Amino acid sequence: MNRISIIFLGFIMVLFLAACNSNNTSTGSSDDGLSVNETNGDNGEEQITLRMAWWGEQTRHEYTNKVIEMYEEQHPNINIEPEYASWDDYWKKLAPQAAANELPDIIQMDLIYLTQYAKNKQLTDLTPYIGNELNVDNIADNVVSGGELNDSLYGFNLGTVAMSWDYDPAILEEIGVNSIPENWTWDDYMDIAKKAKDAGYYIDGGLWEDPFRYYLRSKGERLFAEDGKGLGYSDDQLFVDYWTMAKELVDMGAVQSPDELAQQSGPEDSAQAKGEAAGVFEWATMFIGTQKVVDRPMELSPPPGPNVDKGLYLKPSMFFSVSENSEHKKAAAEFIDFFVNDIEANKLILGDRGVPASSKVKEALMDHVSESQGKVFEYMSWVEQNSSTLGAPDPEKSGQVIESLVNIADQIKYGEITPTEGAETFRNQAESILKN
Amino acid sequence: MLKSKLRYFLFHLIVGGFGILLLYPVIWLLISSFKVSEDIFVTVGSLIPSPFTFDNYTQGWEGFGGNSFGVFIKNTLIFVIFMLIGHLISCSLIAFGFARLKFFGRGFWFAIMIASLMLPYEVVMIPQYVIFSKLGWLNSLAPLVVPAYFGHPFFIFLLVQFIRTIPRELDEAAIIDGCSTFGVYRRIILPLITPALATTAIFTFYWTWDNLLGPVLYLNSPNKYTVSMALNMFLSNDSVSNWGAMFAMSIVTLIPVFGIFFLFQRYVVEGISTSGIKG
Amino acid sequence: MSSNINNEVVTPLNLGKRKNINNKIRDNLWGYFFIGPFIIGFLSFTIIPIIASLYFSFTSYDLFSEPRWIGLENYKKMFTDDPRYIHSLKITFIYVFGGVPLRLAFALIVAMLLNVASRAVGLYRTLYYLPSLIGGSVAVAIMWRNIFGDIGIINLAITGLGLDAVRWFGDPTAALWMLIFLSVWQFGSSMLIFLAGLKSIPKSLYEAASVDGANFVQKFIKITLPMLSPIILFNTIMQVISAFMTFVPAFIISKGTGGPLDGTLLYSLYLFKQAFEFFSMGYASAMAWVMLIIIAILTSIIFLTAKYWVHYESEGGR
Repeated sequence: MNRISIIFLGFIMVLFLAACNSNNTSTGSSDDGLSVNETNGDNGEEQITLRMAWWGEQTRHEYTNKVIEMYEEQHPNINIEPEYASWDDYWKKLAPQAAANELPDIIQMDLIYLTQYAKNKQLTDLTPYIGNELNVDNIADNVVSGGELNDSLYGFNLGTVAMSWDYDPAILEEIGVNSIPENWTWDDYMDIAKKAKDAGYYIDGGLWEDPFRYYLRSKGERLFAEDGKGLGYSDDQLFVDYWTMAKELVDMGAVQSPDELAQQSGPEDSAQAKGEAAGVFEWATMFIGTQKVVDRPMELSPPPGPNVDKGLYLKPSMFFSVSENSEHKKAAAEFIDFFVNDIEANKLILGDRGVPASSKVKEALMDHVSESQGKVFEYMSWVEQNSSTLGAPDPEKSGQVIESLVNIADQIKYGEITPTEGAETFRNQAESILKN
Repeated sequence: MLKSKLRYFLFHLIVGGFGILLLYPVIWLLISSFKVSEDIFVTVGSLIPSPFTFDNYTQGWEGFGGNSFGVFIKNTLIFVIFMLIGHLISCSLIAFGFARLKFFGRGFWFAIMIASLMLPYEVVMIPQYVIFSKLGWLNSLAPLVVPAYFGHPFFIFLLVQFIRTIPRELDEAAIIDGCSTFGVYRRIILPLITPALATTAIFTFYWTWDNLLGPVLYLNSPNKYTVSMALNMFLSNDSVSNWGAMFAMSIVTLIPVFGIFFLFQRYVVEGISTSGIKG
Repeated sequence: MSSNINNEVVTPLNLGKRKNINNKIRDNLWGYFFIGPFIIGFLSFTIIPIIASLYFSFTSYDLFSEPRWIGLENYKKMFTDDPRYIHSLKITFIYVFGGVPLRLAFALIVAMLLNVASRAVGLYRTLYYLPSLIGGSVAVAIMWRNIFGDIGIINLAITGLGLDAVRWFGDPTAALWMLIFLSVWQFGSSMLIFLAGLKSIPKSLYEAASVDGANFVQKFIKITLPMLSPIILFNTIMQVISAFMTFVPAFIISKGTGGPLDGTLLYSLYLFKQAFEFFSMGYASAMAWVMLIIIAILTSIIFLTAKYWVHYESEGGR
């Protein structure tokens, strides 16, 4: 009994300490998002607090906070409250905030969720701010339009990425390929794969769903129909051809088997990192991370053709959106402009959120970025000249369709179903998901 | 004599050996936290970090955007303390009511309580979030700790089961001696369920420590984040994660939980003997 | 117990009746005084969300727009038009019925081993509990992945025995068992509750049995099991409920995919995907209510059987 009392007493003491402590830190709770309208005596400007949310890891949090500081120094009436988390946690936070009308003013947004959040006016249309608060003089039209949906602009593009085949030239040479042939084709690719296999290497980590979208586009088709009500390609043979190729590579032993792939924890123990594979299909901005874990000189190449330019497109890497419930949309737009166009700010950002949208910023950064980033910038400049427009964004239910594609692709690679069966199953599932 | 020595030896051989086997993953985690981040996955089988580095700890402790890991630990401790007080007081009261008192609707409320454990949080969290946002409790600990003061079904049920193992004669004797119902709770039952209360404290501590979804939903400002959220921030979805720092901070955050367990487990097993009442 | 009170109260019949009524009111008041906090908390924080989720289960609801009433459509789809749902239900049953008995048996054995008075045992208890303290952080997932990885210790041991290495994450069945092993490995919480229960058993019972010449097995069956039965009941019910709702290990180990080939797509993980990746909150709510019914049936069965095997000291051995 005595001991319990002592423990309880201890708790209560700590409670008091804690209560004092938490009083200091818990200023400004839920109504952060609402206006804090205090007139600033000096210049009569309105004191504004903006909530800004993003996902990322250590380095992104560090430099974004610095950019915010820089902005607050230049705009003493603006106070930006950061809310950041890891990718998984970020989306768990955002969904209930949307349901409760508590979204932050500035939201980092990804292409796969843009349609979902833009619907029902969670996000505000940025069109009125274009050319005013948001300066787009140095940004290509097709880059800005990446965040467009039904003629409204729901996300401001922070940078672009494109599909690439990133490889280790030394391994290619070892297997008897001195350089990737210019305008290489899928036939060349399969040839190299055979050579790699014969020399005891993998060609890459295998074909997956994003290169499939590239493949469809290079054949003049798309994964989703323009109206988002069904699949964008009518000939299932395209599906069969691509995934047959994927399965052939597995059977041949030229790529990792799906079970081996599943065994990996992350890029750190991938076949590339371990020096077992010549290359990898990935989004160009991932090159920097891959280069870091591979630790041998690597290069970027466009994926195999024909019709590379039809297949490639500039994918918005991420957006800043402004929530509809924000009371300071104009101030939010001004900050986004700073983030995208200010050169000093971008010297901190260094292309971490995608290859900068503004050509001027990109030029200015050239001398400041690392070697691997320089290679990515260079590749993206090439892609800008050799790509087609993004087209309509993915429909609302795209996430579920992609998941079904991934599952079917897995089943094909594991040999559970044939590519022909897969094509039919995928069409049935996708259409039943998309039709309602 | 020899036989008991042999038994003693065998006991430690089996229990200790088995313990090491069970602990292998933890040891692996500890050792990996001293490896260079890039090596962790390459030298999986090796239990000797080479080169040995302390960088993961210094790097991890820095935290994010000016909030060091100390801030996250402090936040979590405050969170835990509020939860501990809430659970220990409310759950023992409620459990005593269910286990010892006869009243109308007891079975009904008990069934409701158990049933409320069976609905996944994912489907109630959105409406609950809306309620707390209407109350203006967002970005504070309130939505996380206030419900603790109204009991937690798991601990209520646990304490009920323990109270039911205590012979009723003890209560009756106390009533005859002039104890009120509350007195029975306070003087008879509470001391006798010390092991279960210690268990409640331990579980509350580390469940709160571990709780990820709650803080993720309700805490917005990074200077209020808890350790579980902070640990996740070492991960990256589109670039290379800082595994080394995450492992290092996982170890650091394990220390308080470990300490609390070591302190409290004594009460789990010594409760009865200190109360001085035999069976 | 009743005989005790009757002996004390020797009163005329009608007075006793009034007193009984007064007692009843008093008992009710005391009862609601003690469980009051639960009722208040339940009514203010829990009941509305529960009713809301029940309502959502009859609607098409994407979190952002108004729910649209569609009747039993969600429930119908689950059982007729969603093979992934049936699959995830199936593997969840395997997970529950494979994992829970193993975990409980393991926890009980270790608890009995550690239920001896010795200085070293406190340390052992802490060490054995350590795996559970690590909890559900991502570190656990990475750790587990690597231990079961191609060059991890498990495969080193397997190949050392001259067998073929197992691709634990590459094979759907193996991956599910790996999840089960993880849950068994984190047996600490059940162990702790068993320990607390074992400590509540009066030593005098064992002493008396020893005098009667009972051996270890007899003592276990005649004393330990019945005296521990309320705690066994508690652990069984709680483990069944929590096993059905297991989410974090499956999520972190499969990196949120439920793979390979949906091998680790436990019920809660699929429910989470429906709610927050596919934004089908209506469907997810319906899934949750089906799960509630399944768990409720299972726990009711356990509670009903409790009459025959659970021994309450406070209720004269019933």
